[in-house]
Amino acid sequence: MYRIDYVDIVGGALLILFGAAVTYTSVTYYPMGTPSRMGPGMFPAGLGVVLAVLGILLAAQALRRPGPRPDVRIFSPLFILGGIAAFAAIIVPFGLIPAIVAILVISSLADLKIRPVSLVISCIGLSLFAPFIFVFLLGLQIPLLRWPF
Amino acid sequence: MEFLGNLALGLGVAFTLQNLFYCFLGALLGTLVGVIPGLGVLAAISMLFPLTFHLEPTTALIMLAGIWYGTTYGGSTASILLNLPGTPANAVTCLDGFPMAKQGRGGVALFMTTVASFFGASFGIVLLTLFTPIIADYALRFGSAEYFALMLMGLVASSTISEGSAIKGLASVTIGIVIGLVGMDTQTATVRFAFGNLGLLEGVSLIALAMGVFGVAEIIMSVRRVNAADIDPDSVKLKAIVPTRDDVRRSWFPMLRGASMGSFFGTLPGTGPSIAAFLSYAVEKRVSKTPERFGNGAIEGIMGPESANNAADQTAFIPTLSLGVPGSATMALMLGVLMIHGVAPGPNLISTEPELFWGLIMSFWVGNIILLLLNIPLIGLWVRMLTIPYHLLYPAVLMFICIGAYTSGFSPLNIWMVAGFGALGYAMRIFRFPGAPLLLGFVLGPLMEEHFRRAMVLARGDFAVFFERPISAVIMGITGLVLIWGVWSSENMRGKRRARALAREADRRAPGHSEEEVQEGTN
Repeated sequence: MYRIDYVDIVGGALLILFGAAVTYTSVTYYPMGTPSRMGPGMFPAGLGVVLAVLGILLAAQALRRPGPRPDVRIFSPLFILGGIAAFAAIIVPFGLIPAIVAILVISSLADLKIRPVSLVISCIGLSLFAPFIFVFLLGLQIPLLRWPF
Repeated sequence: MEFLGNLALGLGVAFTLQNLFYCFLGALLGTLVGVIPGLGVLAAISMLFPLTFHLEPTTALIMLAGIWYGTTYGGSTASILLNLPGTPANAVTCLDGFPMAKQGRGGVALFMTTVASFFGASFGIVLLTLFTPIIADYALRFGSAEYFALMLMGLVASSTISEGSAIKGLASVTIGIVIGLVGMDTQTATVRFAFGNLGLLEGVSLIALAMGVFGVAEIIMSVRRVNAADIDPDSVKLKAIVPTRDDVRRSWFPMLRGASMGSFFGTLPGTGPSIAAFLSYAVEKRVSKTPERFGNGAIEGIMGPESANNAADQTAFIPTLSLGVPGSATMALMLGVLMIHGVAPGPNLISTEPELFWGLIMSFWVGNIILLLLNIPLIGLWVRMLTIPYHLLYPAVLMFICIGAYTSGFSPLNIWMVAGFGALGYAMRIFRFPGAPLLLGFVLGPLMEEHFRRAMVLARGDFAVFFERPISAVIMGITGLVLIWGVWSSENMRGKRRARALAREADRRAPGHSEEEVQEGTN
C-alpha cells in the first residue's frame, strides 16, 4: 500500500497530458468553425478539455486516499508484444509460415519457461493448421513462404 | 398478417444451409469460449471477426451472435462442474450449481440450467421480436438532437453504472471517441490525428482495437496466472440428468422472474447479463421460504440467474437493432460488423434490410435449439477442453489474432496497431481503467460527432436545442441523473467497499478474468 494513490495520480497526469495534446493538435491544425458551422477541430478540442478535467478530478481524489501497489510486469508484455511485432515484420517479406513460427516462439517465452518439445510440436501443428484454414478453406491470398533476396 | 409474413421471411433466411452452418459454428465456438476461463467473449468475437468478412452481413451477424449467447450456455457448465465461471455472467451459478454437482446432482443441474437458459432466451427473443419494430417505428421521428442525446446517455450509463470509478469509465469513453475520430472527417474531408500515415485515412481498424485491448491485453494479464483446471475428465460422471418432480415445481417461478428481470436489464445501457444474474439470485433468495438452502444446492439459485443472463443476452439486441445505439461493447462490435459491411444501423434497418433483421432473430431460435441439443451430450468434450494448459493455448490464440488482423486489409499496419492497442490495454489494466467503454466510445464517437454537428447546424449554433426538444430534453435529463448517481455512488465510500468486495468475489471465482472483464460481462 502507498500512503497516497500514486497509480491514480500518474493515471490522472497522463489523462491531462493526453487531453492537452488532443486539444492543442485540434486548435492548431484543424479549423474550428463556428457553433452553427462546426469545423473538424471543434469536437475533438472539446473532448481534450473533457479528458483533462477528468484527469484533474482523478488525481485530486487520489491525493486524499491510500492506494495499492500496482502489479506491473515487464517480461510478459515484452515477449507477447514482441511476438506480434515480429509477425508484423515478417509476414510480408517472408510469408506466413516463418511469421507463425516467430510469434509462437517469441510469445511462448512470456511464460518464462522453455518447453522445447511442446513448442516444436505446436509450431509444426499450427504451421499446417493455420494455412489449411485461411489459405485452403477460406481461399485467402497469403504467400506461405517467400525469399525476398 | 404482415407480422407472420416477416417471421416466415426470417425463417426462410435462417434455414438456408449456409446460415444454419454458421449459426451452428457460432454456437459451438461460443460454448467453447464460455467453458474456458481466461478467454472472454469480446476477445473471442474480435478474434473470429475477420473470418466473417467473406460472408454476407446477415450470415456474419448470425455467427457472431451465436458466439455471444453461446458463451452464456458454456459458462454455466464450467460453473457447475468446476466452480469456475467461464464468463462473469455465470459467476452466481457457482454458488448453488457446484454444491449440486458435489451432491452428485451435477447432471440435473446442467440439464435444468440448459432448460432455464433456453427459457430465458426464448422469453427475450419474443420481446425482441415484438418490441424492436415498435421502437424503431417510433424512433423514425428522432432527429439529430435526439440521437446525440441517446448516444450520450448510452455512453454515460455504460461507463458510470458498472462497478469501479465513474471518472475512469468516462475517461475511457472519451479516449475511445478520440481514437474513433482518427482519419478523414466525413463532412470536410480534413484528415485528423493521422500524422501523415496514409493507412489511417479510413480510421483506426475496429478489429485491431478490439483484439488489442481485449485479446492481447487479456493474454498478458493471464500468462503465468491461469492454470489448466486440475481435474480428471473421467471424474465428471453424469449419473442422472432427470430432475425430480420437486425440482421442476421449484423451477417455474424463478425462471419466469429471472427471464423478466434479465429482459429488462438487458435493454438498458450499462447493465446486462451479469447484473441481471446477480439481482435474480438476490431476489430468489429473498422471496424463498427457505433461504438457508441457498448456497447448498438450491435449484432456484441456478434457475433464476441462468434464465436472467440468457434473456439479457437477447434483449441487448433491442436498442442495437431498433435505434442503432448499442448498450455494451459486444453490441458495439455487432454494430461495427454491420457498418463494415456497409449496412447503416438505425431505425430504418428493419425496413431496408428485412432479411437481415428477421433472419437474425429467427436464427436466435435456431441457435438456442442447437445449444439445447449440444450442451448435454458434449459435456465430456467441454471438460476435456478445460485441461488444455494455458501455455499451449495462448501462443496459438495470439497467432490467430495476428492472422485475423492481417487478413482484415492485407496490411501489416493492422498488426502493428494490434500490438499498440495491446500495450494500451495493458496500461489501462495497470491504471485500472475499464476497457469496454473505450470500445463503445470508439464505435459511437464518429456518429455522435456527426449528429452533434448536424443538430447544431439545424439549431443555428444554439446549444439549447438539446434541452428544448421534448424527447431530447428527457433523455438529457436522465443522462444527468445517471451521471450524478454514478459519480456519487462510485465515489461514495460504502459503494466503493461493496464494489471492491464484488470485484474480489468475482476475481476469486473467475481466475484470469480481471476486474475489467467482470465489468465487461455486466455490459
